[in-house]
Amino acid sequence: MRRLAAYVLLLALLLSGCGVQMSPDEAQESIQVIAMDTAMLITTYGERSPAAAYACEDTIRDLEAKLSRTDPDSEVSRLNASAGEPVEVGEDLGVLLELARYYHGSTGGAFNIAIAPVVSAWGFTGDSFRVPSQAELDGLLELAQDGPGYNGSLSHGGADRYSLAPGQAIDLGGIAKGYAADKIVKVLQEHDVPRANINLGGNVLAYGGRPDGTPWRVGIQDPARVGEQNAFAGVLALTDSFAVTSGGYQRYFEQGGKTYHHIIDPATGYPADSGLTSVTVVAGLGEGDGSGFPGTMCDAYSTALFIMGEEQALAFWRDETQWGEEGCPFDLVLVTEDGRVVVTKGLADRFTLDESSGYTLEVASQ
Amino acid sequence: MRPLPKLRPTLWDGLVVLCVAALALGIAFFQWRSGTSLALTAVVSVDGTEVDRLDLEHWEGPRVYTNNGYTLTLSWIRHNDTENGVWVGKSDCPTQDCVRTGAIFRPGQSIVCLPARIIIRLEGGAPDPDGVDAVLG
Repeated sequence: MRRLAAYVLLLALLLSGCGVQMSPDEAQESIQVIAMDTAMLITTYGERSPAAAYACEDTIRDLEAKLSRTDPDSEVSRLNASAGEPVEVGEDLGVLLELARYYHGSTGGAFNIAIAPVVSAWGFTGDSFRVPSQAELDGLLELAQDGPGYNGSLSHGGADRYSLAPGQAIDLGGIAKGYAADKIVKVLQEHDVPRANINLGGNVLAYGGRPDGTPWRVGIQDPARVGEQNAFAGVLALTDSFAVTSGGYQRYFEQGGKTYHHIIDPATGYPADSGLTSVTVVAGLGEGDGSGFPGTMCDAYSTALFIMGEEQALAFWRDETQWGEEGCPFDLVLVTEDGRVVVTKGLADRFTLDESSGYTLEVASQ
Repeated sequence: MRPLPKLRPTLWDGLVVLCVAALALGIAFFQWRSGTSLALTAVVSVDGTEVDRLDLEHWEGPRVYTNNGYTLTLSWIRHNDTENGVWVGKSDCPTQDCVRTGAIFRPGQSIVCLPARIIIRLEGGAPDPDGVDAVLG
């Protein structure tokens, strides 16, 4: 009887303990976060996945507190309210101001964080949408058209002083989530996370690959079927990549039978009307334009290239004077109003068209 | 040294052994189930905190959630007699994005109400090899 009892106890210990030893890929944490005016989903793997996921959330919350335009205590709000007086900014805002200045120049003004007052005039900062008068737009554009006219320069370590031109205001909504994704990569590395799938409301960080070793499958929403779930223009297979999509369908209102979306062309003050319905920019984690912030780069260029339109966007992607002999550090998926999906050659074997979308697929080469 | 007395197992010993074995089997079964959960579940988060897990095999709603000054009604739906899902039938939020999202049926899909700061996300369910891990846009 005692021998039998010993066997039963041994069996009991084995059975109760067999589920405790998890492989790193079984240890997974998913948290949902509402921040930066969007819904985010953070999924991390590995033994330290819970700590990593919550550290990612902390990073996002910290950036939101510094960069929000609607929080009166944020650094951005203090800068916007400075009326031309220099304001001390921390390292994160300083880096973003310098990057924004660079992207404004490289895109010929299509990326412009100083367009904020114009965006507000349309009501996209809140929920009271309206079509501003041309006189109102002209006045606001005058302040914005030369780009962010802030003075100051960033030295490593932050705590530098910047000032905006009187009357100017900036909004980092077109660049902040990409920057958050860049910072999250460091958090994941610090926590030895082998793989993660981070969705910051349209900005995806595909870190590592799926647990089964295949790339993450990332769908691109079909702009023509926004109300439908799982209605994609196509699906990207991504490993260790950033991907960001900008589209006019993401935020819009209708007035007088016309639709007005939230991506404002700094040249006109009106929603961009470039023939594109969405632009997706994809870059590898180690790639980029030399700035060391490839996620930020994807975010900025997805907005700017949407404003530029297909022809200019592809010319920008092909521009050797911009990228040198190595070529452009990112690839594109352009969805056009006339029913085409244009994919640049670096993504040709990683993009699968959704046949139900009805789009035709074109591949653009250098 | 005196020899230890010879112990004879009693009925209580047997009962303890059976209890331990039953407990161990229970724990092992629970761990196996939680690792391969097939029940499609709607996970409701309010302000980033999980407030509800609704097993769609057994829940038929509706349920009302209020946060940040807005109220939405989450309802259960069955599609083609095979698929269970949820949808927001009513919300007093200004954007109505949660209502316009329509019904969701597959794991990974979600309904977001930003004004109310409420997210409803489907988890579990049968693995879908053709499904996506994230959506851009």
